[in-house]
Amino acid sequence: MSTLEIRNLHASVEDTEILKGVNLTLHSGEIHALMGPNGSGKSTLAYVIAGHPHYEITEGDILVDGESILEMEADERTKAGIFLAFQYPVAVPGVSVANFLRTAVSNVRGYTEQADSNRGGVIGSNLMPMRDFRRELTAKMKEYNVDSSFARRYLNDGFSGGEKKRTEVLQMAMLEPKFAILDESDSGLDIDALRVVADGINKLATPDRGFLMITHYQRLLNYVKPNFVSIFYGGRIVKTGGPEVAEMLEERGYGWVEQEFGTGELVAA
Amino acid sequence: MSVLVKEPTIMTEAAGFNEETVRAASAAKNEPEWMLAFRLAAWRTFESMEWPKPTDEAWRRTRLTGFHLDNFTPFTTTSRQSARAELSDLLQTELDEMESAASLIFQDGGVLFGETHDDLASKGVIFTDLQSAVTEHPELVQKHFMTSVVKPDHNKFTALHAALWDTGAFIYVPKNTKVELPLQVILNQAAGAGGYHHTLLVAEEGAEVTVVDDLLGGEDAMQSSVVEIVQSANSVVRYMNLQDFDHTAWNFMTGRAAMGKDADLRWIQVSWGSRLTKAFLDLDLMGQGGHAELLGIYFPTGRQHIDHQTLQIHRVPNCFSDLLFNGALKEKARSVYMGIIKVLPAAQKTDAFQRNGNLILDSSARADSIPGLEIQADDVRCTHAATAAQVEEEYVFYLMARGLSRAQAERMIVQGFFQAVLDRVPVESVVHKLERVIERKIGG
Ligand SMILES: Nc1ncnc2c1ncn2[C@@H]1O[C@H](COP(=O)(O)OP(=O)(O)OP(=O)(O)O)[C@@H](O)[C@H]1O
Ligand SMILES: [Mg+2]
Repeated sequence: MSTLEIRNLHASVEDTEILKGVNLTLHSGEIHALMGPNGSGKSTLAYVIAGHPHYEITEGDILVDGESILEMEADERTKAGIFLAFQYPVAVPGVSVANFLRTAVSNVRGYTEQADSNRGGVIGSNLMPMRDFRRELTAKMKEYNVDSSFARRYLNDGFSGGEKKRTEVLQMAMLEPKFAILDESDSGLDIDALRVVADGINKLATPDRGFLMITHYQRLLNYVKPNFVSIFYGGRIVKTGGPEVAEMLEERGYGWVEQEFGTGELVAA
Repeated sequence: MSVLVKEPTIMTEAAGFNEETVRAASAAKNEPEWMLAFRLAAWRTFESMEWPKPTDEAWRRTRLTGFHLDNFTPFTTTSRQSARAELSDLLQTELDEMESAASLIFQDGGVLFGETHDDLASKGVIFTDLQSAVTEHPELVQKHFMTSVVKPDHNKFTALHAALWDTGAFIYVPKNTKVELPLQVILNQAAGAGGYHHTLLVAEEGAEVTVVDDLLGGEDAMQSSVVEIVQSANSVVRYMNLQDFDHTAWNFMTGRAAMGKDADLRWIQVSWGSRLTKAFLDLDLMGQGGHAELLGIYFPTGRQHIDHQTLQIHRVPNCFSDLLFNGALKEKARSVYMGIIKVLPAAQKTDAFQRNGNLILDSSARADSIPGLEIQADDVRCTHAATAAQVEEEYVFYLMARGLSRAQAERMIVQGFFQAVLDRVPVESVVHKLERVIERKIGG
């Protein structure tokens, strides 16, 4: 049982404050949906949790099981169990999915640390054995509906929007995080692909894992049932409730949120 | 805006060199009279040509300051064959790593070692050192050696090369003959000396062959090489020139392929080593339906200076040429890429492409890229592109968010940058070798 806690988090980019006091606690086994208008700062929150160096934290803290992760680099946070499924995964030319994932999985599962102590830390000297890795990757590609040809393809290079999102879910399945932040994993998907991605999330939604699920649409929540739904507005969470909050947003939009909570605070509206 | 800097008068004359040097080089090889005459004529050409000046377009960005030809005595020795077990570990490893049809190793101006695994002779394939070819196959050498593809007066360095050539392979593949495994040529350039390595590859109609030239050694040395590829109709050639000289070597190269009808060529040019490289590489598409690829990689570090100058000439209609040079640069390294696609008036329906990518790993490194088109036909597809970029921070973050350390992420991105060329290297052991060098270069 783990906890991811975000306390009064303020973050800015180039002197513009984007996160303005975010408070949120996520426990293992929970699915917490985060909904909010374009530009309200949801992706910023996701990046800041994952450790993107571009943002400056001016106040507050992020803790995993009571320990602050703010001083950790992105890779250390991933090893500590944080996973971010990107809203816009970047294409990395010449880096194959299988090649990079083998290094990623080896790091996260501690093969590389063994190498550090055994062999003076030669990078790449201790990777997960190729056969074991291949077997697991092949099985998971099948399970999460990613064509086996994608192992040899270059990361997100020429992938369609839906293929990118499915590959993000595959990576999550390989890295087995404690907390997954899914930034619009449902956007740009056709109806079948949405079901595939939702099935994937449901398979991974085990009691030892928590999800922060950023989405604009009720349709994902029809497949993946959230325990909590929060409304993100003007750089912070303004309301948290059950699934009924999402239904209300679907019906009424954000107009009432602005009337109730907006004081011209909408960031770069 | 330009600043006037007083350049020292560029190059030293070849004070220690004279006609006697040329006669001695020839005598040591017991050459027939015609080859001596060829060398002497080339020497006169060399003497009549001016050294490159910094105002010459080709030498504007690559200066020869500090280069003195008379510091590099040419060899006047002849071959001395060794047994495989007597070879250095480095050379044995080079042999072991590649599964080849035959191998030749050159050192100190002659053949050091040769072995053949395939029954090349019964197919009529000639794979021998050029020196032996001069006496054993004079008609073929006289027909092709520096007569049409690269003539002595091509430039000052080719004239010098023609006068003083010492090592190199002669490869002849007869009509409709296929050599499955690569032919491997290794040059271990001796320290302190001047070397003139030649590759003459003649592929007759329908012939298929893969040749790997491996250039090593060269501490405080100078190498001035020439590569000539002559392709008849429908021939298929895969050629790899892997230059990994010591970082103190001066390296000058002129390579050229003349391609007949429907000939197919893929040329991989690798420039890892040397203190300074100036390489002229030309594709000459002379027969319709020719298909040529020229792919280069380079990765200068420290104070290395690597300059490639390419020419894709389309003389006739319906040919295809694709050029891709990708280089990464570290520390105070410098690279120059200059390229021209030249489409002559008759060459309608030409497809010609040219790309040069540079990955700048340190702000003190510098890459110059000067692509160019000279198009005299109207129904053509030609593009060129040059890029210079740093390691993309968004790529680094993505990979780090998957658990890779910054060093691992950067390493993977740099390897990935070279992948577009590595994917097209046709010999797997060469790919692995190149990957290892890239790894070593990234590591420092
Ligand atoms: N690196 C940056 N530089 C400048 N502005 C930024 C940067 N990153 C985010 N912003 C700004 O911060 C605000 C919040 O952006 P963010 O991407 O977090 O919104 P979002 O809630 O994810 O929106 P969407 O629903 O459209 O994905 C926007 O106004 C955006 O322009
Ligand atoms: Mg967003």
